[in-house]
Amino acid sequence: MIGNDIIDLSLAKTQSNWQRSGFLEKQFTKHEIEAIQKAENSFLLVWRFWSMKEAVYKVVVQQQKKRFFAPKKFECKIRSETKGFVRFEDQTFETTTQTTHKYIYTSVGKATAQHIGPKADEQEILKLIERNTGIPSIQLEIKKTAVGVPELLIAGKQRNYRLTKSHHGAYEAFEIINLNNS
Amino acid sequence: MTQEELITSLKKIVKPYIQDEEAFNNLSEDTDFINDLKINSANLVDVVLDVEDEFDIEIDNDSMEKMLSVKAAIEIIESKLAES
Repeated sequence: MIGNDIIDLSLAKTQSNWQRSGFLEKQFTKHEIEAIQKAENSFLLVWRFWSMKEAVYKVVVQQQKKRFFAPKKFECKIRSETKGFVRFEDQTFETTTQTTHKYIYTSVGKATAQHIGPKADEQEILKLIERNTGIPSIQLEIKKTAVGVPELLIAGKQRNYRLTKSHHGAYEAFEIINLNNS
Repeated sequence: MTQEELITSLKKIVKPYIQDEEAFNNLSEDTDFINDLKINSANLVDVVLDVEDEFDIEIDNDSMEKMLSVKAAIEIIESKLAES
């Protein structure tokens, strides 16, 4: 299973105030808060942790088949500039994060195609998927399951492709895995 | 506090975070914070903090976990108010 999350850093600056009283305590563990306080750039670490939690949540919600909001149950550890781990209950997920001065992007799982670009509508996304998979966009459709996970349908049916998608501010990102190639 | 009053103050709380005006105007007990109002998940924490401030209650992790809709929020607020 795959999951991803993109954060538009300029929007994050205005949309949330991470220094608000209680903000960190509600969603980060004791260890994460210590790391945030010690970090050279606390703002970037807050949003890196958040994108890691969100990307892994997108995998876990598929397993649990039930939505929930429990950011503290996802404990993040940083391994390197790009690699990290997120523990959720008895599972550990490896994450890959790209940080630019414009966005933070985290993915989990071994996707076969990745796209990060400007905000796009569904038709544009389908065109991009056509380019990645070779399947004509006219046959493609994205539908959300009851827990909000996007499904890529081909001629109305879910086939061998799985999709994860994230949008924030000026950015759109998605990843696809072709189960036949993985 | 009546159900109606609760919905009115909840509506005031979520207003700064909503990204779907139409769903907001039609807000009811069945409205979902993420699916309908398109509230960014990071802003859900702000909703939780604002609810705590407004009603002078503490929302524990187990309650927060379920706070994804107007209905769930009302249930949580009512039960916390009854405790205090």
